[in-house]
Amino acid sequence: MTPDSIRRERRATRLALLRMVLVVLAIGTLVPWLVNAYWIKTLTSSLALAIAAAGVALLYGQLGLVSLCQYALLGVGGWVALRVSHGLHWPFEACVLAGGLSAGVVGMLAGLPALRLKGLYLALVTLMLAGGFQVVISATGFPDGGAGFLGRISGSERLMLPRPAIAQDDGPYFAYVAAWLAAMLALLEVHRRTRAGRSWALIRRGEAVAEGAGVNVLLYQTWAFGLAGVCAGVAGALLAGAVGLLDGRAFAASESVMLFALSLIGGAYHWVGALVAGLLLRAVPSLLVDLGVNGYLAMAFFGAALLHALITAPRGLVGQWLAALQRLLAKGRP
Amino acid sequence: MPDLLPFLISGLGVGAVYALSGVGLVVLYRSSGVLNFAFGALGAVAAYVAWSALEHEWPLPLAALAAVATSVAISLAYGRLLAPRLAERETTVRSIGTLGLALVVLGFTEWFWGEQPRRLVLPTDAGAIEFADVRLTYTRVLGLAAAVSMMAAVGLLLARTRIGLAMRALADQRALSAILGIRVLQVDTAAWVISGAFAGVCGLLLANIVRLQATVLTFLVIPAFAAAIIGRLSSLPVTVAAGLAIGMLEAVAVLVPGFSPFRTATPFLIALLAIVLWRDVSRKA
Amino acid sequence: MIEIRGLTVAFGPVTVIDALDAVLDAPVCGLIGPNGAGKTTLVNLLSGFVQARAGEVDVRGTPLLGMNTARRVRFGLRRSFQTEQVVEDLSVWDNVQSMLDHVPHPKDQADVQVHRALGHAGLLDCAAVPGAELDLFRRRMVEVAKALVGVPRLILFDEPGAGLDERESRVLRDAIAAIPDAFGAQVLLIDHDVDLIAAICTQTLVLDFGRRLALGATRAVLDDPAVRQAYLGA
Repeated sequence: MTPDSIRRERRATRLALLRMVLVVLAIGTLVPWLVNAYWIKTLTSSLALAIAAAGVALLYGQLGLVSLCQYALLGVGGWVALRVSHGLHWPFEACVLAGGLSAGVVGMLAGLPALRLKGLYLALVTLMLAGGFQVVISATGFPDGGAGFLGRISGSERLMLPRPAIAQDDGPYFAYVAAWLAAMLALLEVHRRTRAGRSWALIRRGEAVAEGAGVNVLLYQTWAFGLAGVCAGVAGALLAGAVGLLDGRAFAASESVMLFALSLIGGAYHWVGALVAGLLLRAVPSLLVDLGVNGYLAMAFFGAALLHALITAPRGLVGQWLAALQRLLAKGRP
Repeated sequence: MPDLLPFLISGLGVGAVYALSGVGLVVLYRSSGVLNFAFGALGAVAAYVAWSALEHEWPLPLAALAAVATSVAISLAYGRLLAPRLAERETTVRSIGTLGLALVVLGFTEWFWGEQPRRLVLPTDAGAIEFADVRLTYTRVLGLAAAVSMMAAVGLLLARTRIGLAMRALADQRALSAILGIRVLQVDTAAWVISGAFAGVCGLLLANIVRLQATVLTFLVIPAFAAAIIGRLSSLPVTVAAGLAIGMLEAVAVLVPGFSPFRTATPFLIALLAIVLWRDVSRKA
Repeated sequence: MIEIRGLTVAFGPVTVIDALDAVLDAPVCGLIGPNGAGKTTLVNLLSGFVQARAGEVDVRGTPLLGMNTARRVRFGLRRSFQTEQVVEDLSVWDNVQSMLDHVPHPKDQADVQVHRALGHAGLLDCAAVPGAELDLFRRRMVEVAKALVGVPRLILFDEPGAGLDERESRVLRDAIAAIPDAFGAQVLLIDHDVDLIAAICTQTLVLDFGRRLALGATRAVLDDPAVRQAYLGA
């Protein structure tokens, strides 16, 4: 019944999804053979952060919503994962899921009041949340094996988050994180290609249009917020697993702002953009430190890159690369 | 009941800066539709310029002037060169542009001056007056006086002058104002200059009250955002009142048992509460 | 069939629709009137974007005003807007399917319904083309196709042919005229193109200042001297 063009498009979409998953898994298995121990750790963080970036990119790319608290939600996910692991001794995967779902719920609750207001208020509310989280987490710290709600213990008895049995060493853990990245990216992509993505596109076109089509705008916006939160939470749990613990002083509001900026710079409309964002957030600063360049210069550079992305390259670096690639391919054809 | 007065008075000092920052933010937003996320960063760079000037033995008025001139210059440069490139986009995108500016200024400042925390010690710190068991340095008094006069001046500007009228018109209907012959460019310039000047003064005051460190100063603008939110990004009197209230509540929060380590989260909590309590405000356009 | 009884719509002190009574039972009805007569407001009211101050509206015997917008869409109400609202990044197929997503339909019939709607609108050859690449004519036809999925009962078209040339208008006209027979839905059509109204609407309602100026067989209404004076300027 469906025209050939549609059948071809659907097949192309399925192939693109498969390709994405395979590429990410390939990265997971091959890269540990190519880089030294220090870089494996750095790139593991980059992959985990890419998951968080994908969440931010979803909100901005699909709905034009600005979330400036993604790193804070990452902290929430990490906190829950650590607490649940130390306190209840759940298997690693369960901790990651717990972290993801909690951050998703917090994200939804956070977004809900502001979604009824102008888009700018949402940016401000999320910034408030990031600021508030910064204050709270630097005072309470992350759970490390103690009793009580906060789960804090002193000195030498601090516990690390145990990694899953199949991924104890750094190399296997890198591949493990890559598998989670592939799964989350696939989840987001499936959303984009089905009813959720179409509804988000309608909302993007205009709320009146969406309502005229029977879309429950608030529901779909909240759902997107929840998804972005889950991405952040999963990333947080995986980061906690990478290092074994998280430092409450490392969750400044500026991290959430940087994550947002880099997600835009990488490209909010394509999954590779999230990978680029993760690299920019962790790997590039490490590289610069290796080369003797001050990290703050990188921050200034990223600020300029954000302005550039907004003014001339709304689809980010990946968008520009894809456009260049298409032009190249078009030239190649007769 | 412990004596609240000293806390309220010391909170008033910071609150006045929050109020001043809030006004600087709202004035710019109302005229140009841009919420300046770089407000704090501009204050930070101004404070560092003043610090360097004072290290080089410049007299205080000249150092302050240099500081404010810096923030005004950067603000103006952004407003005239970069902001117009985003003029056609939606409000959120135009404001996110200032996030980029914030990162550039913050990154540069931390790189150039180094990240070790400093104190901005002003000559006026030496003398003080005693008021209800609180020792207010001359800096604080001057700061309060400056804050009050600047806010009054802006209020008068908006209410009584032609350019003030134009700024209010632009806030409501930018394109229409242009057609009516209001010189949008001129008004924009005025708005960015005012905002930059306010940012500079606030930076100086906060660097003196809190500490001179770029990242801290940049994000100290968040309580000012809280005040601006409560003023619904439009009412100056409410923004001022909110800023003062936030400053005082933050100071008094020290007395709440167990809350002390979380004291600095007070502005965020207030802002979140304000947002949650309005369900009917400005439905998305 | 649309039954309107005592309908009043006001925005503050301004009454836009004033105690309107009308029964529209033709398969394709026209709605005309000078600018500001309340036509678009009536469509906004019917689709749920605007509240009534007083009065009742029944569509096929079902009271409409108690339902929210989403429920009306599920009930079978469809509308187009004066400016086309095609989503740029979705394909033509997906644009139409996005309408179907939110109305009840058998899961395995989704493709069948979208195919049928696109076929009626003559858009099957460009089904995979993204909205951004469509010209105005195709965009207008997408708006028509969107209204045809998911068992429509009442379709409101607000100047669906604005900006089209004569050939394109004719294609649009034929597509709209065939809707009642092909899909079982009633059509209410606002337009300033009197020829279009005369050609496909058997019944027409004329509004002026929010009040009913004339209602009846289209030819008779268009010949009515009061209508000619108020609207056609003769």
